[in-house]
Amino acid sequence: MRAVLRALRASGLGAAPTGAPLELQSRGDDPPRLETVTPLEGDRLAVRQVPGAPTAGLRAFLDGIQRSQVVAHAGTVPLVHGAVAAAVRCRDARRLRTWGAPRRREALLLPGTALSPALVTALAAQVPVLDTTAGDPAAPAATHPQELTARALTAVQRMREAEELALVAAWVSDGDGPLLVDGGISGSPEGARDPRVIGVVKSHRTLYAPAGAVPLVLGLREGERTTAVALHSPRRNPVASWYLRLRDAQGRAPLFGLVRVEVAPLGDLTARADEVSRWLLAERTPVALPDARWDVMVYGIRECEQYLTAILR
Amino acid sequence: MTPPVLGRVVATERRPNTPHEFHFWTALDAPVGIGTIVCVESTRPVDGVLPRVYGVVTEGFGYTDLQTPLHDVLGADGEPGASAFAPTERTEIRLYTAAVLRQVPEEPLQPVPMGTVHLATEADVQAALRMDAYVGGAAPRGIPVGVYRAGGTEAAVHLDADFLLGPEAAHLAISGVSGLATKTSAVQWLIASTFAHLPERKGRVAAVCFNVKGPDLCFIDQPAVRLDDADRALYESLGVPAAPFPRVRYFAPWHARGTHLATLRTHEALQDAVTPLTWGLRETLQYAEVLLNKEDIDAKADALIDFIKERVVEQRFEDDLLARPHTVRSFADLEAWFKELLQAMEASNREQWRTHHIATMRKVRNRLGNFSTRCKGLVTDDGTVSDLPFGAFEDRTVYVVDVAQSEDDAQALVFARVVSQLREALEKRALGVDQVIVFVDELNKYAPSDGADTFVRKMLLDIAERGRYLGLVLFGAQQFRSQVHRRVVGNSATQLFGRMDADELATPGYQTLAPATKARLATLEKGQLMVRHPHFGQPIFVRFPRPAVLTGRDGVERFPTAAVPTLEMAVTQALRRLDPTITVGKVQDVLALAGDDEEGILRARNRTLLARPEQPLAYFKKQLTTRVAAEVVGRAGPATLRTPDPADDLYG
Repeated sequence: MRAVLRALRASGLGAAPTGAPLELQSRGDDPPRLETVTPLEGDRLAVRQVPGAPTAGLRAFLDGIQRSQVVAHAGTVPLVHGAVAAAVRCRDARRLRTWGAPRRREALLLPGTALSPALVTALAAQVPVLDTTAGDPAAPAATHPQELTARALTAVQRMREAEELALVAAWVSDGDGPLLVDGGISGSPEGARDPRVIGVVKSHRTLYAPAGAVPLVLGLREGERTTAVALHSPRRNPVASWYLRLRDAQGRAPLFGLVRVEVAPLGDLTARADEVSRWLLAERTPVALPDARWDVMVYGIRECEQYLTAILR
Repeated sequence: MTPPVLGRVVATERRPNTPHEFHFWTALDAPVGIGTIVCVESTRPVDGVLPRVYGVVTEGFGYTDLQTPLHDVLGADGEPGASAFAPTERTEIRLYTAAVLRQVPEEPLQPVPMGTVHLATEADVQAALRMDAYVGGAAPRGIPVGVYRAGGTEAAVHLDADFLLGPEAAHLAISGVSGLATKTSAVQWLIASTFAHLPERKGRVAAVCFNVKGPDLCFIDQPAVRLDDADRALYESLGVPAAPFPRVRYFAPWHARGTHLATLRTHEALQDAVTPLTWGLRETLQYAEVLLNKEDIDAKADALIDFIKERVVEQRFEDDLLARPHTVRSFADLEAWFKELLQAMEASNREQWRTHHIATMRKVRNRLGNFSTRCKGLVTDDGTVSDLPFGAFEDRTVYVVDVAQSEDDAQALVFARVVSQLREALEKRALGVDQVIVFVDELNKYAPSDGADTFVRKMLLDIAERGRYLGLVLFGAQQFRSQVHRRVVGNSATQLFGRMDADELATPGYQTLAPATKARLATLEKGQLMVRHPHFGQPIFVRFPRPAVLTGRDGVERFPTAAVPTLEMAVTQALRRLDPTITVGKVQDVLALAGDDEEGILRARNRTLLARPEQPLAYFKKQLTTRVAAEVVGRAGPATLRTPDPADDLYG
């Protein structure tokens, strides 16, 4: 951040972090929706009690964080500092340690088409610069500042995802044992094909269930899962997925304690889904409080997030 | 070689570092605890020098990322055992607070910088405690007090002789609960260490130890039976012989019956080394204030006592009222003097004699006359004196004065007179040694923080405040430091603490200690001490070896107290110390001549012991029918004050 501020000041811009981080200003604007799916266990979506006692089977946890903030304006054009980090925290004797080195990246995000080339060149000579309009011929030269910050935010999200995907690939190449990724794994070609990589999705703006099966998904009781389904997307890799209720939701919101699990669609999926579900149920302790998402967040991911927060400061 | 990194300094706005305190975190299994000495190495030079900070850990914190204990309850579904099965342990921190011992360079004095934290090496400990100024070098004067041990580091900790025995500062106070604080053991060890390490150029040193309870100090000339290899290793590493004191002299008053000495060291094998402690009129009258209370010593009585001291005792006294000249040398002489004088006054119906009223005279006669009753065994009617060898004290010798079986009055008189005599002799440089360590146990009894201002307390205050210039050094032990007069403990430059009572630790005198340090003090093992010394920036914990002497408890088992002897046996045992061929039969033959005069027999025995004649039995026989004047130890010599060696004192 300091280097970015220095570069901006050297270029004659009054630079100072202003306003809240973009992540707090921007809410998910995608409307909630239902997505049709292809059952992989049986011919329709069904409820299944996870058999056996929860057992610890996960070896490592992967998470990434991002931070972006407007640090200057060139005229009316907002310039955004973005920083991302990702890490794998490996469990050994019940304690978590960083696997390899964490990945970090920061950049000054700016819309190149809205700024003078001289300014962009001058800044690029001093700090890493990421043009949020590069490769977009439709990008306007002048537009609403919030659209530009939204572009910057999207670019920072991509930066974070890129670091996370790089770590997934590294784990597939050199890691040992099951890796739990915070979020889906369909964006990772390596992860979506490796049985050791497991994704856990905590938010459910898209519910992967036909309309008639929504009560079934939301009616899952603690320790129950849905049967696995196949998720396909033109820009993503195919994965097998199912819903799992981690905690008793009686008297709470329907999504309380509900996660969606993604794994590579390989082998005996019923046995695989049961085994992975047992692992996830075992991760309910220690509880991830005081994180607001504690009902769906396993402690390893929270710990990883705390680690990243510490190193990104 | 740089020692491995133990931790890292951290500082936050809420918990900042200061020039006297800093914080650091460590791995969970780091070998660090309360009292560990650490060293901070900074990478940011100040004035071209990389600062190095030494500190001692005074507080420790451990916590996890839990915001409230309720979260753990929720996570474990209210089942305490469930947490143990969690696949991941919560992130946990060990955060320590350390008090700065020393910063190098000392100027500019800044807040402790960020840096890596290492366990102190032996050299670091020496630097941290500023021992480099007086241990080693051309003129060493370090006195080992124990060993600092932590995290694999073992380093000898030395006191500065100039600050333990004077003249810069002096005195030592040791506090702790009875039985667990090992106060007596610590003092015995420190005296042995002083004898072994005080350089010759610092002069000759002796110790006078008052044994005030049980057999504590009765066998310090005998080897220990409980010394293990670890103790011997400590003795070796600290350069102190693991042996009992080679030169010890014991003194004890007679038992009230007079047949045997009032000590637990009465076993036949050890009797030789105990010298009777008996004083006559002159020795006692000088300290009459000790035995008289405020009602006794009003101005009129005081004037008469002064008159007796100055005009009557030890000189020929004549008066018109007296039929004969009197030379008062003993309480018996004094009683005879009073008796004749008062009878004469009554016969002539006089109420006044030389400005003294007859009532005052009767009162003083009564008060002085019962000295020998109140201190029977110590104070003799006949003036026989057997005393400590003031003027002939020997280097590296311990003089044990056993008053454990004496009444409080007698104990007070012994303290007052012995210490005053030591002071007088040291002032005149005529004691035989240049400095004397006076060990007084139960200091809260003799120099209490409240209560009457007794002679003994005034005397102890005087030693504490002025003794260092004379070489008169007080080693005081007490259970409760808070109950000892603050000027006595306040003047003790060196303070030792064994295991402490929690209530005592709650008193204001311990406010400067961190809660964790107090907790450690309350649970200290035997053989561990916390040391405060002028050179140490903070209190330090050390371990010392068990004394290499026979403890009182072991001593009474190995050398059981002899049975109370009959009169014949008491005389025989005493005379056999001078001539082993003397038998009970021979003694009985002589005693037959004396009839039932038990006091006369014991008086004759005492005089024989004092004279140590070549023919003890014949001398004893002669004493049975002869009165002998009391022996008096001479005193002489100019007074000289001790001052710091100018070569050692840059500001001198």
